Amino acid sequence: MEQHFQHLFEALSQVDGYIYPNEIDLHWGLMIVLYPYITGLVAGAFILASLERVFNIKVLKPTYGLALLTALAFLVVATLPLVSHLQNPLRSYEIFMTPNPTSAMAIFGFVYLWYLMAVLLLEIWFDYRRDFVIWSKESKGFKKIFYKIITLGINDTDENSVKLDDKIGYFITVLGIPSAFLLHGYVGFIFGSIKANPWWSTVLMPVIFLFSAMVSGIALVMVIYMVVSWIRKVKIDMDCLDTIAKYLFYILIIDFTLESLDQIHRIYEAEESFDIIKVLVSGKLNITLLFMQVIFGTIIPLSVIGFFQIYKPSEKIRKVSYFLTGIFVLIGIFFMRWNVVIGGQLFSKSLSGFTSFNAVYYGMEGYIMTAVWLILPLLILTFLLWLMPPWKKIS
Amino acid sequence: MYAFAKPIELLAQSKDTDLKEDKTDQSLWGMGVDLESCIGCGKCAEACKIENNVPKEPFYFRTWVEQYTVKNDGEVKIESPNGGIGGLKQSVPTEDIFKSFMVPKLCNHCSEAPCVQACPVGATFISPDGVVLVDESYCIGCSYCIQACPYGARYMNPYTKVVDKCTFCYHRINDGLEPACVEVCPTNARIFGDLRDKKSDLVKFLQKNPTQVLKPHLNTSSRVFYNGLSSEVK
Amino acid sequence: MNKYLSKIIFRLLFSFVVFVSIFILVQRSLTPESFGKYGHYRANSIEDNKIQTSFFKGEAECASCHEDLYDLKDSDLHSEISCESCHTPKIDVTTECKEMPPVVEGNIELCALCHATNPGRLKKGVPQLDFIEHKEGKNCIECHNPHAPWELTE
Repeated sequence: MEQHFQHLFEALSQVDGYIYPNEIDLHWGLMIVLYPYITGLVAGAFILASLERVFNIKVLKPTYGLALLTALAFLVVATLPLVSHLQNPLRSYEIFMTPNPTSAMAIFGFVYLWYLMAVLLLEIWFDYRRDFVIWSKESKGFKKIFYKIITLGINDTDENSVKLDDKIGYFITVLGIPSAFLLHGYVGFIFGSIKANPWWSTVLMPVIFLFSAMVSGIALVMVIYMVVSWIRKVKIDMDCLDTIAKYLFYILIIDFTLESLDQIHRIYEAEESFDIIKVLVSGKLNITLLFMQVIFGTIIPLSVIGFFQIYKPSEKIRKVSYFLTGIFVLIGIFFMRWNVVIGGQLFSKSLSGFTSFNAVYYGMEGYIMTAVWLILPLLILTFLLWLMPPWKKIS
Repeated sequence: MYAFAKPIELLAQSKDTDLKEDKTDQSLWGMGVDLESCIGCGKCAEACKIENNVPKEPFYFRTWVEQYTVKNDGEVKIESPNGGIGGLKQSVPTEDIFKSFMVPKLCNHCSEAPCVQACPVGATFISPDGVVLVDESYCIGCSYCIQACPYGARYMNPYTKVVDKCTFCYHRINDGLEPACVEVCPTNARIFGDLRDKKSDLVKFLQKNPTQVLKPHLNTSSRVFYNGLSSEVK
Repeated sequence: MNKYLSKIIFRLLFSFVVFVSIFILVQRSLTPESFGKYGHYRANSIEDNKIQTSFFKGEAECASCHEDLYDLKDSDLHSEISCESCHTPKIDVTTECKEMPPVVEGNIELCALCHATNPGRLKKGVPQLDFIEHKEGKNCIECHNPHAPWELTE
């Protein structure tokens, strides 16, 4: 407790203006910035996969399996920052037992379960089923046991069964698109429905979250595709990569438009909360919003990829640019979540003052833990790619 | 600009206090705050901390008193050092002051509480007699209710690890006692009572004075009514 | 193909049904008993919230033993003020005032809580003064009886 109160005393010295006494401590920190970020990556990666499956953009085929496995790897980790943030994590099962029908947060358990099992796992299963049957005969040891179990005893590999797999997989993906929207849209609604907080309370919040999620997910798959291809020493399909970048560009435009619309609307209406929000954006959020999110994470990627739509430089330059742009976008969207979650708590509900966010390095809410939660899905993805390599599928 | 305080009957029929069993003599608790009487002595905040074991480290309050100083140049200074405990003192020179007043704040026990709406598990609720309470054995500590409260009335108790807030001294009012803050107020600036009891001091207070609630535009149906709430109050 | 389709549906659907059944069973057993009686909360929590030690006993309790002091207070300008407003209960060990009498140190700081000059207190009916100007910062209770402030000992 000593540490906690020392921290509170420090926080008091960083209070500016008047805040309600109980607002001195930020209640939602890095872990709550991470959760929408990770579910956003999941939703975005899935949407990219569905572009190939449902909208028949065949050029994206090389990244289809990769996108699905990326979504799975990140989805598995998604709950962990959330549960670790709770004061009483051992009671977290209550969200499944007695979810409050009026609470946006209560949707979490069921949407997560539904999306994980009914959508993602099923889709992967139907996509890989025939390969599991074939691989179970060809491999040895752990892999053999795993493949055998996962086929659930169904060993059909004939043409008809594959056609049926395809149809069912298509149907699931179609179901999966609104499910992915719900998985991440409700997070936006969690913030957008809080009338007490003027920075959060906007109709556009779920939509903005959704489109920035798609942007981050697409950028993630793009970067991972490049990294995995580099590790495997395999040639990158440039048509595929160019197309991914193109979709990233289009959706980033929509995302940027929505966010700008939100701000323009705020500035124009200039209602009660505008005075303090103006100071917030130009002051405490100056770097994370104007520089990291807008310039670094949006304007630069838009300019680079936008330029490529007009004039296509050499393959090498494009590869490096796409890689860097992807990283920029990923960082920019992380800061978008930061600006929403932490920005919304930096100013008081009295609209008359500010408090400060004291990020720590160690502990469950620290930078190191954040890095752990971000690296863990990559390790899981590596394992999944070893277990179910998309490039070894029999087409 | 201030909400027309809903007629008492309407409030009494708020769906959150409807019982599944019939209780025709059910109270509906509320509080009146007379800003024309509050002198900012801070005794209410101190008594509350003592009565309810609120963490002594001076950053968590179930109730606190704010001092508003409107200067001649129009600037409004708001302060609440240690929640008002120890008495509110004025540091602005008298000649610069246009007007100054004190405002006690507490949980408004809204009939349409955004915190109750937000809780994912049902750990905070409105009791049948209209008091917003926290179920300490059920709260998972997600802090969503704290984010949802427009009045800054809730906090995370670092010792019990659950959310805490003013309970209208629920352990006292059902025994015929008044909340601790009402008990010690030297100027009777806090008036506690049953909104359904036509003879209560609170109902008389509401009938006699033009009362307002905090942040009426948020439509929370607050049951803490202020007399003399000036437009500077946040 | 029909055989394959039926295999898929049967096995997947079967596992789904099993999962949902287990889920419902677990949900029934883990939900607290009184949950949902009055609303989406554990109804027994209402009684739980009533269980708490009261430290402030209320004026009537004090008056039951200290009747003379109470009557004195009632006769003068501090009549509206509850005893416990100044005599904050001591709570370290016990709440019994016979064992831990709420003795209060009668000093200027206590009186200043209400009576120190503050422009926000104007016209509230409480006399305010600058304590240095008044009697050069002398302790108030040297002249004023705290239970009957206009009974001056001079």
